[in-house]
Amino acid sequence: MKKFRMITFQYFNAFTNMALDEAIMEFVRKGISQPTIRFYGWDPSAVSIGVFQGVRNEVNLDATKKAGVDVVRRLTGGGAVYHDRLGEVTYSLIAPLDMFPTNIIESYRLICDDIIFALKQLGIDAVFSPINDILVNEQKISGNAQTRRNGILLQHGTILYSVDVETMFSLLNVSDQKISDKLIKSVKKRVTSIVDQTGASMEELKKALVMGFKRNREISFGDYSDQEKSRAQELTKERFNNEIWTFRL
Amino acid sequence: MKTNSITRKFGKMLRLDVTYTDHIESLKITGDFFLHPEETLDQIVSELTGVTVPIQEDLLIRKTKYILDSNEAEMIGISVEDIINTLEEATQ
Repeated sequence: MKKFRMITFQYFNAFTNMALDEAIMEFVRKGISQPTIRFYGWDPSAVSIGVFQGVRNEVNLDATKKAGVDVVRRLTGGGAVYHDRLGEVTYSLIAPLDMFPTNIIESYRLICDDIIFALKQLGIDAVFSPINDILVNEQKISGNAQTRRNGILLQHGTILYSVDVETMFSLLNVSDQKISDKLIKSVKKRVTSIVDQTGASMEELKKALVMGFKRNREISFGDYSDQEKSRAQELTKERFNNEIWTFRL
Repeated sequence: MKTNSITRKFGKMLRLDVTYTDHIESLKITGDFFLHPEETLDQIVSELTGVTVPIQEDLLIRKTKYILDSNEAEMIGISVEDIINTLEEATQ
């Protein structure tokens, strides 16, 4: 079985969360850190955008500023996501590429299977939906995104605990469409959450995810190293909390 | 000088913001697609900036595919044809 470090759920701000991912990628590449699975939340709530998205196209920057919601550009592709402080668990898996199928969709599937297993523990039947989603009865409960650089794979994703569609729509720009009740209802039909599906608590979700990601790996529980935290501070300043990066597109 | 912004939904969203005269003056390619390695997009934008308008679609598809191949890049959610066909539409 492959050896991984697992870091249990902690809250960080958006910039530190993304910087920790990149810092761990660097230290895994150097052989200093073990392949890692981390769970985390966003404090304060935040919007993350995909690496190729235009921030002004996707985010209502006046609304995020007014609401005290951070905006961060990810290293990964995919769409804009509202990360509610109390509404989700986010994970990152960082490991050498050669541990995964070369085919990108198959590598998504392999990792998403761990989340599907976790949801099953909560009584939820979910399926992987290529490219990067997990669905319950055609409704999205988890979105995932991946990057591969310098021989290291990073996949991170969210598992929705509860969904606040109205807040989400107030913070994200929906392309040239007015935020009508009809549209919100339509999104509600396409998105679901743990709360919608089951009476499980957030703690039960976290435990189930630990079980899901442990089942095919040799896990040692750990924490961020001082080196990783220090490098993450640098990357926060240089990149993730830097307007040159955020507003590059 | 003309400017145009065009958004199209393929497997993923693609948006082009283009400024052009008899050639492409500037181009921004954005969207929620995936491209590994991500830096390949800068090369694609660089290749397409400066080309003559009306664009030669077949030639640009070949050149863009060459960039992907030479970077061993993989694009997911949109295709090279999607980019070039949308560029053609945006510069009509």
